[in-house]
Amino acid sequence: MRKWFKVNALLLAGAMTLGLVSACSKSSDGTDAAPSGSAAASTNAAKSGDEGGEDLTPVTFTYFSEDPNPNWNHMQDDVSKALTKKTGVTLDAEFAVGDPAQKVALMAASGVYPDIIAAKGDIGKLVDAGAVLDLTELIDKYAPNIKKVLGPYMSRAKYTTEDQSIYSIPTWSSVDEVKATAGGGFELQHRVVKEAGYPTIRTVHDYEKVIKDYLAKHPTDENGNKNIGLSLNADDWHMYISVTNPAAFVTGASDDGEYYVNQETHEATYHFRRPEEKEYFRWLNHMNAEGLLDKESFVQKYDQYKAKVASGRVLGLIDQDWDYNDGQQALKTAGKFDQTYGHYPVTMSEQFKETSFWPTGFMGGYGISISSKAKDPVRIIKFLDYLASDEFQIMNNWGIEGKHYVVENGKRVVPKEVQDRINNDNTAFTKESGIGFYWNIMVHYGDGVKDSTGNYYTKNSPELIVDGYSDVEKETLAAYKATTWKDLFPKEDEFNVKAYGAAWNIQIPGEDEVSILGNKMKDITWKRIPQAILAKPEDFDKIWDDYQNDLIKAGVEKMEKGYTRYVQDRVKLWSADEGK
Amino acid sequence: MHALKKSTGRPWSDRWFDVAVYLLLILVTVVTLYPFLNVLAISLNDSTDSVRGGITIYPRVPTFKNYETIFAFGGLITGLKISVLRTVVGTILGLISASMLAFTISRSDFQGRRFVSTFLALTMYVSGGLIPFYILIRDLNMMNTFAVYVLPGLVSAFNVFVIRSFIDGIPFALQESAKLDGANDWTIFWRVILPLTKPALATIALFLAVGQWNAWFDTYLYNGSSEKLTTLQFELMKVLQSTTTNADQFRGRNMTEVMRQISPESVKMAITIVVTVPILVVYPFLQKYFVKGMTLGAVKS
Amino acid sequence: MKSMTASRKDTVVQAAAKKRSAFWKTFVRQRYLYLMSLPFVLWAFVFSYLPLWGWTMAFQKFKPGIAFRDQKWVGLQYFKELFADEQFYRVLRNTLAMSTMGLVAGFVVPIVFAVVLNEVRAMSIKRFVQTVSYLPHFVSWVVVAGIVTKMLSTEGGVVNDLLVALHIIDEPIQFMAKGGLFWYIVTASDVWKEMGWNTIIYLAAIAGIGPELYEASRVDGASRVRQVWHITLPGIRPTIIVLLIISIGHLIGIGFEKQFLLGNPLVSDYSQVLDLYALNYGLGLGRFSFGTAINIFNSVISVFLLLIANGIFKRTTKESIF
Repeated sequence: MRKWFKVNALLLAGAMTLGLVSACSKSSDGTDAAPSGSAAASTNAAKSGDEGGEDLTPVTFTYFSEDPNPNWNHMQDDVSKALTKKTGVTLDAEFAVGDPAQKVALMAASGVYPDIIAAKGDIGKLVDAGAVLDLTELIDKYAPNIKKVLGPYMSRAKYTTEDQSIYSIPTWSSVDEVKATAGGGFELQHRVVKEAGYPTIRTVHDYEKVIKDYLAKHPTDENGNKNIGLSLNADDWHMYISVTNPAAFVTGASDDGEYYVNQETHEATYHFRRPEEKEYFRWLNHMNAEGLLDKESFVQKYDQYKAKVASGRVLGLIDQDWDYNDGQQALKTAGKFDQTYGHYPVTMSEQFKETSFWPTGFMGGYGISISSKAKDPVRIIKFLDYLASDEFQIMNNWGIEGKHYVVENGKRVVPKEVQDRINNDNTAFTKESGIGFYWNIMVHYGDGVKDSTGNYYTKNSPELIVDGYSDVEKETLAAYKATTWKDLFPKEDEFNVKAYGAAWNIQIPGEDEVSILGNKMKDITWKRIPQAILAKPEDFDKIWDDYQNDLIKAGVEKMEKGYTRYVQDRVKLWSADEGK
Repeated sequence: MHALKKSTGRPWSDRWFDVAVYLLLILVTVVTLYPFLNVLAISLNDSTDSVRGGITIYPRVPTFKNYETIFAFGGLITGLKISVLRTVVGTILGLISASMLAFTISRSDFQGRRFVSTFLALTMYVSGGLIPFYILIRDLNMMNTFAVYVLPGLVSAFNVFVIRSFIDGIPFALQESAKLDGANDWTIFWRVILPLTKPALATIALFLAVGQWNAWFDTYLYNGSSEKLTTLQFELMKVLQSTTTNADQFRGRNMTEVMRQISPESVKMAITIVVTVPILVVYPFLQKYFVKGMTLGAVKS
Repeated sequence: MKSMTASRKDTVVQAAAKKRSAFWKTFVRQRYLYLMSLPFVLWAFVFSYLPLWGWTMAFQKFKPGIAFRDQKWVGLQYFKELFADEQFYRVLRNTLAMSTMGLVAGFVVPIVFAVVLNEVRAMSIKRFVQTVSYLPHFVSWVVVAGIVTKMLSTEGGVVNDLLVALHIIDEPIQFMAKGGLFWYIVTASDVWKEMGWNTIIYLAAIAGIGPELYEASRVDGASRVRQVWHITLPGIRPTIIVLLIISIGHLIGIGFEKQFLLGNPLVSDYSQVLDLYALNYGLGLGRFSFGTAINIFNSVISVFLLLIANGIFKRTTKESIF
């Protein structure tokens, strides 16, 4: 779900004035440069450094991260102090504030780079400039912990099929993470399903029916304001989340960004070209004609959408929970729990399976790199390796034992007074404790993974989620015989793991025609889809045909071909894992 | 004109004129005060409540929480010092360069006039892009220095031409008579030109100061890793990002309730107020120069 | 005032004569003028002209971090690509339409407002209104766009409520969904936000007009309206013209923030502008070369517009910037 932040973050970042920065700080994808035969800075590094016991002489490494960490306390927090004690290392860190892609490009162009770099999707620029080391040998020689955690996934750290060097160690994706709950699907207010007697909500027609029935009975709220059947969030990049991605999800396709990938041949199709999806948009068009779709769906700004959700008047949403949570939170604060939302695995018809939990495996992707100008790469890799150790992963996630957590009967527990500070004084607490600072610097296990003591590595556990449910939510779940929303959805084991992770996670160089065509298609789609949805039902087919013709005229087939190559390349590169 | 006496025989047209003027002023005041009051109200409102929308010009659930969030961050004091310093130094240097250049190209007898003015005019429309500029700054050893805040933008053609248009309005005879009194161009500039272009200088000073005060991008590009050279805007940028990231981390990591008390939108509004208030405080001191009108008094031609 | 310009002309003639006789002699005599301009000219050269070597990127398949001599040269490829793209012409149309409307409104309104303010006698009211009017300048476009969208909303938007209450319309109108209205909405929002700020410069210009001119005309019994026409407006004419010439040069580069924030998918045919296009298809994709090609196109058109505007004003009003 983070992917769409990057897409548009760039756009915003370009214009980033104080006011303009908002949800998109997570930003930047930009480009991965072409797999040129760049002078792979080989491991001349391995020469230096001692191979013997731990070197604890104080040393300072410079570090740049594309992700912000505004709470960074210049290593004066508890976790960092402990880290320095263990390794002798102090980080002189800079975290991006503006558009990080730009900053990395400037680094590459000017040759001024720090020792350790987290360049996320822009790593290609540094590879082209010969700015980062191939870490293959260094990891092999000096990084037992990293090898242990990444284990079978090591080949997912490789750069490309042509250049199989490891330029960055994947630290953004969590290893073996198990999602504990559902945040997507289609949403309905609890009062709507309750009034209908908790019928099965499985297809768009089930979904439409409960909304329609409720609206017929309660056209307005207690103050006489109109209730709204379904509202969409189409402000800028939210378009993906609430309008275009769901078309794939309701037709049995998993999240592969703007593409549908054939699981046998790994051929990519621009997903709006699938006839199944036309029927989804025809359904939205029908919803509009019936007056069930909010007329302002494509005009409203994000804050207007949230305000509507917060008013409790919107019966149904098609969105992800993090996207509408602000609004829902206002409902909870006001005690209107029956107007908050549950998640349902809705598809076009019973023949399709909802794909929220289609597993991707470890996704590789963004990671951490060592610069070719670093003086002591061996010391750095040892430092990074320590970060991946069980000891430090727990320290990063839980803090210092005895101070931020205690072990009671073999279980890690956060004392009440610490939890109170986390809840009420979070910023200051984070600054002092340093908990979580190294999450994206270290190779790490995800939620739901237990360490050798039987405790979870992270603080997020399935139990915690159920604790957070309101009584109304529990009542609805009970009516559907479920404990979490995930129980309503098809499970991970009903799908075959995708051999390429997720298509949206594949970095396409910006110079590549695929990227340029991708933007062209987006411009067309974002214009045509709203048009088609808002048209008179009898005009829908004509608009859809025009839309498809526009796509072909703009070169959609060429784009699909190019993209297919990337997907197939990745399958080849990653298939090295499968024997293990 | 401030010494206007009420004359008995004022033409009717003047009265209607007054009525029209005041009606217009009321309209403008209402319309332009609204967005700012709206921002102020939201900044003082509970952020969860703000999500419901509908806040107009007063807070519905008053709180200082949004401001507390901002001031809980360190670095603001250093940032404030540097911001004030760059604003003062940048404004003074900018004024000197712009007014000197303006003076020289206002002189029709100056032989470099055409070249200098054309040369300057083009700088407003051509740029080499970010990368060459960044490399230039690196080569000049200006990375991680205070100088990078005030030196690269020292010469602003726009300001030069604005000041020149004012100097053009000053009777040239004044310069000539000063010359007869034995003044050279240097003294004419300081003694004759500068005092007579006060309204223009005040305007340009305002433009320069606001520009310097609001700037954060140069901090980010060139001094991002230097704690000592951080600016207020840059620190506030980080604060804003912090609230955003915290919110995101949450989303990513399935914990709800806790951090929702503060939303980026509300903090953004509070930040707007925090950065605007100092400007509002300084403003009256500049405003008097261009609202009042000047008395040429003695310098009649 | 007339005598001043006359005396100035004489100097021009004299100066010209001297110039012919001895450049260096004049150079020495004007040493202070040189001293006050050349260092800054050098400065501008370093910071504005030196980086222009970056324009070579438009003719290369530029990759950051690779030595200049190792970059691959591609000739006019990026320019051809730019001029072959249909979308480019549409964004160009939108840019010019909005910038021209912005230019007209952005000049007329602040000038009128400055003149009106100048007619206010009570100093405190004048100062108050002036201060209030420039406040929206400090409010970000995100906020302003949010307010505008809410005002024009069909759900409790002030404008629709008002129009319905007055029986001017029966059904609320979705203003933000109408492509034909988009340019006007942008222009009006811009005026709202920047009017007060842009007025400051004209107020300063008015402040520079000698009060004795007003005294004289008052003695002649001129009405206030006449004073505005015959003293205030001519007095600020040089400033207006200088700003106008500079703005005409900027017609093509108007940024994209406000259009982006006020726009939505339904009006995208009217809302996309050149600067956004440059970001989406250039820098945003890390395509420095394509971005630079657009930048060069921008600069060339701007300089061209500047020369035309400067020439026209020079000939017709005798005012120009060079």
